[in-house]
Amino acid sequence: MTETAGAEEIFEAMGAVVTRWTMGATAASAAPFWRTALGDDPVEAELRLLALSGQFLGATVTVEAPSALRVLPDIPPLALPTVPEPLRPLVRRMLAASKEAASRTELVHFLAARGWTTHPADWMPDASDEDAPDVYAAWRDWSAFAAAGATTRRQTSDQLTTENWEDFWPAARKAALIGLRRRDPSAARALLEAKLDGENADARLRLISLLSERLSDDDVAFLEGLVANDRAPKVKALATSMLARLGHRPAAGEDIAELTGFFSVKTKGLLRRSRVIEIERPKTPAQWQRRKALFDGTDLMSFSGALGLSPQDLIAAWDWNVDPAADAGLIKLIAETGTDAQLAQAAGIVSENDATGLIVALAPRLEPAERARFAAASLRAHGIGFEMAQMIAGPAARLDDPLSAPSGAKLLAEIRRDDAKPSDHVAEFHALGLLASQTAAQQTLQRLTAAGLLQADPRLDMLRLNAALDDKGETT
Amino acid sequence: MAIDLKAVEQLATDQSSLKAAAGLAKPAKWSGIGGSPDGALIWGECAGSGANPYRVMADLRDLGNKCTCPSRKFPCKHVLGLLWLNAEAVVPFAPADTPAWVSDWLGRRRGTSPAKPANAVTPPGEKDLRAARAVEPETVEDPKDVARREAQAARRNEETERAIFDALDALEQWVGDQLRLGLSGFIDDATARCRRIAARLVDGKAAVLAGRIDELPSRLLALAAADRPRGAVVELGKLVLLARAFRATPRDAEIRRAVATSETRETVLADPQAPRVNGHWEVLAEQVQTRRDGLVSQTTWLLNLAASGPRFAMLLDFFPASAGRRGSVFTPGERFQGELVFYPSQQPLRALLVRRDAAEDILAPEWPAPDAALSHALTRPLLAEPWTIEIPLLLPQGRIAHDDSGGNWWQAADGTTSLPVAGNTEGLLAGTKLTRTAAIWSGNRLTILAAQSPWGRIGGHD
Repeated sequence: MTETAGAEEIFEAMGAVVTRWTMGATAASAAPFWRTALGDDPVEAELRLLALSGQFLGATVTVEAPSALRVLPDIPPLALPTVPEPLRPLVRRMLAASKEAASRTELVHFLAARGWTTHPADWMPDASDEDAPDVYAAWRDWSAFAAAGATTRRQTSDQLTTENWEDFWPAARKAALIGLRRRDPSAARALLEAKLDGENADARLRLISLLSERLSDDDVAFLEGLVANDRAPKVKALATSMLARLGHRPAAGEDIAELTGFFSVKTKGLLRRSRVIEIERPKTPAQWQRRKALFDGTDLMSFSGALGLSPQDLIAAWDWNVDPAADAGLIKLIAETGTDAQLAQAAGIVSENDATGLIVALAPRLEPAERARFAAASLRAHGIGFEMAQMIAGPAARLDDPLSAPSGAKLLAEIRRDDAKPSDHVAEFHALGLLASQTAAQQTLQRLTAAGLLQADPRLDMLRLNAALDDKGETT
Repeated sequence: MAIDLKAVEQLATDQSSLKAAAGLAKPAKWSGIGGSPDGALIWGECAGSGANPYRVMADLRDLGNKCTCPSRKFPCKHVLGLLWLNAEAVVPFAPADTPAWVSDWLGRRRGTSPAKPANAVTPPGEKDLRAARAVEPETVEDPKDVARREAQAARRNEETERAIFDALDALEQWVGDQLRLGLSGFIDDATARCRRIAARLVDGKAAVLAGRIDELPSRLLALAAADRPRGAVVELGKLVLLARAFRATPRDAEIRRAVATSETRETVLADPQAPRVNGHWEVLAEQVQTRRDGLVSQTTWLLNLAASGPRFAMLLDFFPASAGRRGSVFTPGERFQGELVFYPSQQPLRALLVRRDAAEDILAPEWPAPDAALSHALTRPLLAEPWTIEIPLLLPQGRIAHDDSGGNWWQAADGTTSLPVAGNTEGLLAGTKLTRTAAIWSGNRLTILAAQSPWGRIGGHD
């Protein structure tokens, strides 16, 4: 008997041996080939058979793989390089320390603004991570097809057309559409016109929101079509607000008269008579609620028109910091339905009037350079904290010397106090790290360590990352 | 930033701590000594009784400190030793980048709680630096005492051996009972049944074997239901083999290690047969597991980056779960030059770290090629130690694949082998070619420790 034949014979017998033991029966008789080795004592024979079978089954039998195994495609490289190897441990540590998704998102946006992406072993976005920077679209789609059980990428070209629309996974499609909208706004709109019907309401909403880039009068007909025909109220609402941004206001209803009842236009000054909005304070909680609801249901153009003013005049005549809820209502109108020019006007006035919280609401629609300018101005003129400044500035700020602002001086004084604790001002240091330019981050680190902070202080992680990471991002 | 010995004396909880610290204030006990450029932080690694050194760190501004040892004293002797080294400038504390483990500790510190001078509670008179430094005179022992002590030790050994023999008899009886009662019942009730025999083995001084049996049910349950009868036969068969091997050679250190106890660190270090390997190592992974017997096992897997020699080393430490979470001594992916001593074995694997040199950015990024064909690597260790349950492997080029029921597989690039993978393989691990994979093969499951890929190193997932 050859060795191979022996192994096969043993293998075949093992089925019966294991079955017998499973039921509690003796098994020695099922392995006649080991009779000599097992001996005559029936109890001992079972133990010896167990030792031999265990060794055989452990060494030679492995679970057989099903014939159809699915292999995922390679994770594609992204358009931006991964952070340099020496900085990966720091990035990993910061990602691990980010308990909330929002702070992880903040970090990856910062990296993207500086021209870098995370290493896929350190962080990858989920398929549904709408907040991830667009540069990660290919990884989001990879996650989507990993979860969907697909094996191949269908997409063959980077250029999105009506013909290959279906071949793109959602994130890549969104990225391609953004690119197209920047290059050729009409082509992007035409693509949406052709393909929008096939998408569900959430997808339609996300796709239409991409039109806010380079929004123009050319889009009016399409948006009006959506307002008239789309099935989803939230899509209609978005289209309406985009139309309002373009100066196309819907017919004002009765509600607008009720809203303007809370305000009146007065004139003041003797020589240079100027108009000012006087706010009638609501008297009951119900009235406060009602006014808020009325703000939510209108647009800037209708509101100003009902007061007999142009939107620009309304913004100029508004009496800021008297009624914060009314301020917030107006700012929301401007952010959602104002034109870019009205938005910039409001941001300028609000910034001068020390109503920094309101800038935060306007910031997402401002250009990165504008956001950085307002953040720097608010830091210097109004002494806001770095956290607030960072909310205004967004991920792409590159402030030259944030530490010399009043909140910087305050921070330096705080860390010199005798009762300063190592866990103080964590968020401020972090925001400072996000705000500063690379050079400023390096200088800030020097000044903070000179003021007594340890170089290794974990609160300085964001500043250290910023200081060490070459800035390869696009600056405007 | 300087401290003086007086501060060390004040910080010590008692005279014995101070005495122990004096013994540790010697350069030979330490490696990786360093300090932050501003002189505020100092750190180092101190060899203890385990396989891993302890990581010790202190903030000289407020004498805050931390050590990874399980001591309940605070500060422990290692911290005092480090401060002593610093106070007396026994070794230079070269300014260096703060290691990640020190930064992590800083990040976890809550508020400044300046270490209170211990003399607030203990009269300083009870601790004395001079006494701590004093070298106790060696006492000359009476030869009769020596002989009596040796005889006692031999008697104790015999008693232990007899106890183990009895326990192994009970074990074999128990194994036979499981077969008679049917393995399907055993699989259903494995936890309770294993607990009972494990308790008997602990009484019979077969503590290591008891720990192994305590963990048997979890290994069994990790298998697919259809594969469990086979798994039970393999597990129980190995127990019989181990029991028989012990009976045949009860003094064999390797078999004793699998049944009763391991040699102490000192014994291994003093053993001329214990192979020493000085080389470049990469930390593959650290596995921390709370066991049923209340101990936490901390296993650090190292890969030898040299072309030959033992490919893997396993640093194994145990500490009571009540000692709380312990810091890791290594960061996965880190590489270092250092000397290991292996416990004598036919297949050296378990080791102690003798010396670690400062971390370097060393070597080619590639791992060495697998030493043997995969089929050989999977089974060869079983020839020498058939009771082995974990076989570390270096796999050739391959890739992760999935089956329809969500199971994960490692598939060799040449298509010849597919091995089932334990745990999840989400993310990069499943989305790239794996040029090399370091893994543990145990009971028909592959646990990936780390892999090399075109994206660089990827850590395994638990």
